[in-house]
Amino acid sequence: MKRFDLFLLGALVPIIVCSHLAQSSTSRALGQPAFASRQLAWLLAGVVLLILFSLADYRILVRFAPLFYAVAILVLAVLPFVAPLRAGTRSWLVLGGYTIQPSEFARVAVLLAVAALAGRHQRETLSAGTVAQLTALVAVPAVLVALQPDLGVALTFVPILAAALWLGGMPWRAWLGLLAAGLALLAAAWLWYLKPYQQERILTFLDPARAPTGAGYQQRQSRIAVGSGGLTGKGLRAGTQSQLRFLPAQRTDFIFAAWAEETGFAGAAVLVLAYATVVLRLFVIAIAGRDREGVLLAGGIGVVLGTQSLINMAMVLGLAPTTGITLPLLSYGGSSVLATCICLGLAQSVWRLRFANV
Amino acid sequence: MTFVRDDLRPLRRRAAMLAAVFALAFAAILFRLFSLQVIEAPRWRALAENNRLRRLPLEAPRGRVTDRNGDVVMDNRPAFQLLLFPEEMRDPERTIQFLVGIGLADETEVRGRINRARRTSHLPSVIADNLSWAQMAAVAAHRADFQELSVHPASRRSIPAGSTVAHLVGQLGEATPAELAADERLRPGQLVGRSGIEKAYQHVLGGVPGNLVVVVDALGRQVSTLDEEPPEPGHPLALTLDLELQRRAASAMSGLVGSVVALDPRTGEVRVLLSQPAFDPDLFAGHLEPERWRSLLADPAKPLSNRALQALYPPGSTIKPIFAAGALADGLRTPAQSVTCTGQTSFYGHPYRCWLAGGHGHVALERAIEVSCDSYFYRLAYDAGLERLARWAAAFGLGAPTGIELAGEAGGLVPSDEWSRRVRGQKWYAGETISVGIGQGPILVTPMQLAVAYSALVNGGFLVTPHLVPGTGRPPRPIGLDPAALLTVRAGLVRVVAGSEGTARRLAALPVPVAGKTGTSQVIRKREGVRWQELPWEQRHHALFVGYAPPEAPTLVVVVVVEHGGDAAAVAAPVAGQVLAKAFGHDVEITTPLLLFARPDAEPVPPTAAPAAPEVSRETL
Repeated sequence: MKRFDLFLLGALVPIIVCSHLAQSSTSRALGQPAFASRQLAWLLAGVVLLILFSLADYRILVRFAPLFYAVAILVLAVLPFVAPLRAGTRSWLVLGGYTIQPSEFARVAVLLAVAALAGRHQRETLSAGTVAQLTALVAVPAVLVALQPDLGVALTFVPILAAALWLGGMPWRAWLGLLAAGLALLAAAWLWYLKPYQQERILTFLDPARAPTGAGYQQRQSRIAVGSGGLTGKGLRAGTQSQLRFLPAQRTDFIFAAWAEETGFAGAAVLVLAYATVVLRLFVIAIAGRDREGVLLAGGIGVVLGTQSLINMAMVLGLAPTTGITLPLLSYGGSSVLATCICLGLAQSVWRLRFANV
Repeated sequence: MTFVRDDLRPLRRRAAMLAAVFALAFAAILFRLFSLQVIEAPRWRALAENNRLRRLPLEAPRGRVTDRNGDVVMDNRPAFQLLLFPEEMRDPERTIQFLVGIGLADETEVRGRINRARRTSHLPSVIADNLSWAQMAAVAAHRADFQELSVHPASRRSIPAGSTVAHLVGQLGEATPAELAADERLRPGQLVGRSGIEKAYQHVLGGVPGNLVVVVDALGRQVSTLDEEPPEPGHPLALTLDLELQRRAASAMSGLVGSVVALDPRTGEVRVLLSQPAFDPDLFAGHLEPERWRSLLADPAKPLSNRALQALYPPGSTIKPIFAAGALADGLRTPAQSVTCTGQTSFYGHPYRCWLAGGHGHVALERAIEVSCDSYFYRLAYDAGLERLARWAAAFGLGAPTGIELAGEAGGLVPSDEWSRRVRGQKWYAGETISVGIGQGPILVTPMQLAVAYSALVNGGFLVTPHLVPGTGRPPRPIGLDPAALLTVRAGLVRVVAGSEGTARRLAALPVPVAGKTGTSQVIRKREGVRWQELPWEQRHHALFVGYAPPEAPTLVVVVVVEHGGDAAAVAAPVAGQVLAKAFGHDVEITTPLLLFARPDAEPVPPTAAPAAPEVSRETL
């Protein structure tokens, strides 16, 4: 057991417990009790996957990364043609009664592929060619996901690239160029890709008084939920905002708000500290990694999970616009839970094999 | 290119920097969480409560109003009102069309109510307060489509006595912003008394509205009831009114235009306060249909005006006992002093006629009242002068509001030279004083003032404040006239009914002894040789009668004014007689044929020619 990072595993315990309690509460509010037990089943399956991937050798998986990547791209490419239209997107694959969100697993493949590509480049900084290849490597699946269209998940690909470029190293001029390109991309996305309701969300975030009943409504209800929770919360299943359904998307995007309302600052702080522990331990694992691939893989996972958690919490607390980015493990969704657990398992593998003589 | 051992140090350094950045970010999240949940918690908690709690106003039932015998004047009956929650309304146009469709009101009216309701934002508004069963069923059937509508039980005023008490009970209306500011217990939209007893005794009848606090979900559905602050019902109110007498007065006045006022002369307690024609007060119990309102306003008989308190009439011969009392008390006349009436007297070079063309011969005070001799009072007015006449009239409370608790009382007019110059822009003509002596010309009183004046005449000289609730009103004040003088005048008033020449001697046939005085109030100058029955209705004189009983120790004074009644003795006196008989336990029916074919008498004739006295009718004042 010394080979496992017990800090990371220990931090997962409160997250899983909180996830189940929060899901039970919101499932009751929404009148669908089955969802809570399903989420718990996925979490337990996720733990099994985590252990399996911990025992695997990440170096072998990195070697096979091109294969995983190719499969991921293929699935994402055919998805628009086979996936049913749900809630305006074609993001889910239906297989024998189960719905799978391929984009979540594609992210794992991209993480492996990026680690493999950047790891090959054994210089202090990345060459321009590698930067271009890395960008393409991430951009292709990100664009495919964005076309489903699922902006929230597509955005979670960006940190993968950012992590690889930062860890791999780039001269500051390159950063400037990339920043300019990024801004140009944002402007283009605003003009041609974003739907009016998405533009409205961003404008509303910048100016909350803009639409108190429209796009601003969700964030306002979320802040009311969190703030009214107070120090110790209203009690499980006793949150008025969630139980009376004032809180939107409380099973997914705003699950953290439901939790914060019912358990107060005490419960919410435990969760924030647990996420911080997981993310910081991922960086510790990265620092301890035996090779470039290991550092890049664990660091990349840390950046992906860290930004996703932070953006979701910031959104719930009214510090970021609503983007559709969920809170890993806590938000409802089997694919997301399993993919996240695979990532954590990969990181454990990096930790387990951190000493060169093993 | 030589192989070098891969140097991971730069990567590790950068990973450590990332760790630091993420640690800072999580710290920021924690700080934000703390500020929201610990520092700003009270504010957010209030907003959360606001979200889930909805306050439904619970109307306080208004107090029951009864007469002195416990008969119900005003009560409440259950009704159903339609509430609109403006926040829930998705498409106002759709709601308007639905409400028009179920026949709530016409489109402009509904649109107006909806728009008013939208201005009050989060508070529910009463859109209609007397739903029919069909309308309730329609709203219930479309509950899913129109979540903003909700039917609530409420109460509505019921007035069993109906139009009989229309002018007394008054109307309700929504509290104005000024009233809301003045009384913190009132809430927006609450109905408060607008007129009549409802207004005068709002503080008794109103009660304090309550609240029903319910928990609603995000769709506005009521989840549970959290708290109920029950309304505090209004207090009951017992009036001095005698509803049975009021009804009797109404039936006696049916078809006539005018008013009946009855007071207990000892206290000023109002027993009857009737104005005819009336209206159905139930029309005002809720939203009034504009068309009904317009037709009431346009009615030339002015059913909305309370004639007992607001209409002004020259008192005619009913003023004579007042002046007689004044003259006796001031020593201007003795009971035995007589005047010779030849049917016509000259003052200032103009002839003034007595109503009896042949004259009354020698007339002393008591007989002058009995036969209503004009010549006697022309001479009295001539001798007294305007100032003294005005002082006497004012001493009996004429020309000033009586102070009854109902709003809108008219003041009336007791003339003076100063008044003439100020209002008419001309000096007072001496000839006018002669006319005022018989209650014609520029002297105007309300029926209620006449009742107060006669109360003072028969109660030993005390001015009472008429009131509708026992124990209220100012205590009676002495008018400062010699009680002996009043007794002499009362002897004359007894003779009006009991005397062989009395102008109201037909009332001698009543089963109860009564006394009183007839009066005719001039509308136009009388034309020679025209009987009143031959005049068009609107040109006929107003018929007045003030009666009281029992004559020796009066407990009831009744004033009757019949507009354009023509003949006081034939039209007004029988009404008073029926009310007085009823008050003392006898139901006397004086039928319409008797009224119509009654011999005209006791019609005082105004001066035939008084060029110095410009014509004054009550319309010009």
